[in-house]
Amino acid sequence: MKKLLIVLILLGLLTPLLASSALAGGGAGPSKDILKGVFTQVDAATRTAILKKDGSGELLTLNFNADMNSTDVRVNKKVMVSLDKNAGEKVIKDIDIMFMDMTTGKIVALIVVGLIGGLLSGFIGSGGAFVLTPAMMSLGAPGAVAVASNMCHKFPKAMVGTYKRFKYGQVDLKLAAVMASTAIIGVQIGIKIQKYILSQWGNAGSNLYVSVIFVIVLVFVGGYVCYDAYKLSKKQDNNEGHQVSGLALRMQKIELWPMIEFKVAKVRISAWITVPVGLATGMLAATIAVGGFIGVPGMIYVIGASAVVASATELGIAFIMGAWGSIQWGLSGLIDIRMTLLILSASLIGVQLGALGTTYVKDYMIKIVMAATMLIVAVSRGAKIPGYIADLGWQAPLDHGLAVTLNSVSFWALILALGVAGGIITVAMIVGMMKDKAEKRMETAVSHG
Amino acid sequence: MAITNFDKHASAVTFAEAGEHQTAREMMADTKSPKRVPVKAPVKKPYLQTVIFGIISLASYLYIFSNEKLVTDVFTRGGVYAAWPIGTALFFSFVHGAFGSNLLTLLGLEAKKK
Repeated sequence: MKKLLIVLILLGLLTPLLASSALAGGGAGPSKDILKGVFTQVDAATRTAILKKDGSGELLTLNFNADMNSTDVRVNKKVMVSLDKNAGEKVIKDIDIMFMDMTTGKIVALIVVGLIGGLLSGFIGSGGAFVLTPAMMSLGAPGAVAVASNMCHKFPKAMVGTYKRFKYGQVDLKLAAVMASTAIIGVQIGIKIQKYILSQWGNAGSNLYVSVIFVIVLVFVGGYVCYDAYKLSKKQDNNEGHQVSGLALRMQKIELWPMIEFKVAKVRISAWITVPVGLATGMLAATIAVGGFIGVPGMIYVIGASAVVASATELGIAFIMGAWGSIQWGLSGLIDIRMTLLILSASLIGVQLGALGTTYVKDYMIKIVMAATMLIVAVSRGAKIPGYIADLGWQAPLDHGLAVTLNSVSFWALILALGVAGGIITVAMIVGMMKDKAEKRMETAVSHG
Repeated sequence: MAITNFDKHASAVTFAEAGEHQTAREMMADTKSPKRVPVKAPVKKPYLQTVIFGIISLASYLYIFSNEKLVTDVFTRGGVYAAWPIGTALFFSFVHGAFGSNLLTLLGLEAKKK
């Protein structure tokens, strides 16, 4: 009862923050230089087009930029138009069709990525998001719509995953509420840093910052998780439970008010330790969109939860943060619910499969999957860095062939990360289930014998 | 020759009739009833639930994808219309999530019982 009260108070404190951020449009929403609406008329002679703005229905006459012609403007299709303020009054910079035409190939691609993303999410608490957004973009969705639709798919999936893993006794609701409340503040800090970098160094600087953070965090944290999982796998015979890291043990000894007891995670720790972990999770979520890459290792190595509890709790955090993000994107009207629902059709099954998979594997297997995913994703992001450095003018522009190669390395590394993680989870789950069946047969034989 | 429970009971009755109640009791205490193996209750598979949730889910998918105009116009107006995509995502997570859960049970994929 007391636990529930604390969670409710935390959520109560969180709500005004959520509402204010959401109503303000938040930092994650689209830029004000972007208009949403439908072109009703195109005039090739005057090089103008009339846009009926979404919501207000106001008619705006927009001018073509120097490189455009009338065939670039599609009438009666919902579009996002970005304006080029430097070129003059109401000059079109770019036009993105908001809703791509769905073909069978695109539908199948979204379902497959959704299934493996869901499996990964159910198993390690996060995942899928890092590949879904680029996948949607390469299928033809504008960046903002891809991020919004991904966010809207993330929170129902996380909700189903949290429910399942809560039933298995793996979710620490109190830890999830404490982490999410600080993570949301972390997101705000992350967005402020992003905006500062954007104003100082522009889009290329922002891209470079995101990629460098991505690679540094993923290589260090992923490398450590990999080393730890390898150590544990070698002494797997006596590894039924989990071993609390030395750092977490030292942190738990710090008696600084307020001390919080997390019953499921079996940890009593000062709130002052959970706050930085939550903030870092939020900041990373705002920077690279996958806060779980720091949240789960943080809960394991700093707070001292087991990998099973940490990954399950992360799903709870993803639900709260995903719901908050979805409200923001929904207010901007950028969610393509068709993509969201196609991904959900498979990921809702995948997430439950991943969740039940955790009951068959040992704790270190979750760490192996997490480390493999993080390290391969780091390669994907690392391949983008030379291009961004060139964009900033810090080195000569890349040779066209090299740029194309690096881009495809980046994309295929993401697909590889999903494939490898999906493969390890499936094999570990099948082996675990077969072992369990063999044990049950043995027990039955003994009791009859 | 092995002494069966029947032999033990018969001997205990003889002692009891002879007034040796204590001995009879001791002999009865020695007898063991055969170990009962609990009969497993047949597991009910959720066929009906899977079919019902499957039909609702499929019908909802068909409805959404055959009314693309509604999705592209109303769902993306922004502001209070944000309730549409978020509500829809929640509705599908309940219906399709329940279908998925029942489907996995039907396929025999269940969490390990400790």
